Amino acid sequence: MGSEFLNPASQISYTEIFYEHFPFYLAIGMTADEYWNGDCTLTRYYKKAFEIKKEQKNEELWLQGAYIYDALCAVSPVLHAFAPRGTKPHPYLDKPYSLTKEKARNDEEAKHKANRQKAKAIFEAWAATLDLPSKKGGKDNADNRRSPNRNNS
Amino acid sequence: MAKQISFEYDGKQYTLEFTRKSIEIMERQGFNINDITDKPMTTLPALFAGAFIAHHRFVKREIIDEIYSKLTNKQELLQKLAEMYNEPLEALMEDPDDNEGNAVNWEASF
Repeated sequence: MGSEFLNPASQISYTEIFYEHFPFYLAIGMTADEYWNGDCTLTRYYKKAFEIKKEQKNEELWLQGAYIYDALCAVSPVLHAFAPRGTKPHPYLDKPYSLTKEKARNDEEAKHKANRQKAKAIFEAWAATLDLPSKKGGKDNADNRRSPNRNNS
Repeated sequence: MAKQISFEYDGKQYTLEFTRKSIEIMERQGFNINDITDKPMTTLPALFAGAFIAHHRFVKREIIDEIYSKLTNKQELLQKLAEMYNEPLEALMEDPDDNEGNAVNWEASF
């Protein structure tokens, strides 16, 4: 009577618990000597390091999935069974994703700069095709525009 | 860094600490921390002696008992030893940092 309230944990020795957890720490890279004879708090840091590694691995797998998704999207036009003749796949990403904020900012700036250069080049090419008057003539024209009836009066 | 007790006796520096191995050795020799309340007179010196295993394994029991008899403030010493003894287990049982999910929070009124 009342034995159901006895804590079975109190019957388990510390040694048993140590042996129970031992394989886990071996699996995450702790040596037997560190586990048994080293600083007992090391297990905390091994466990935290393991959590960080797991998180990193998860992010890597997610990133890999994202790249695969992008690759599939890029080739999807040619995967279509009834794709018109001559259909070409979209090009794959020209560079990897930016993983840090700074890198992303730099990449964004570089992209804007490249766009500006491209726009400038297009504008210059367009301007070169125009038959613009010379500077002097331009000035004369401007004067004429300002007071078209000056000579008449 | 694990909890340690340091002192000097007879010109020699001693560092007391419990590792998992030293606790295993103590338990193999019949030590049971639950006896601390029932048999304090034998358990407490054994606990003190066990703290030598990690760094001073070959110090004779007579010397350990001699040191134990001369140590001051035993009440606090034994409290610290008990804390040190539990540390290798606590380091394994520690909860994860985040209390999200199924964790149950509790508080005591004392």
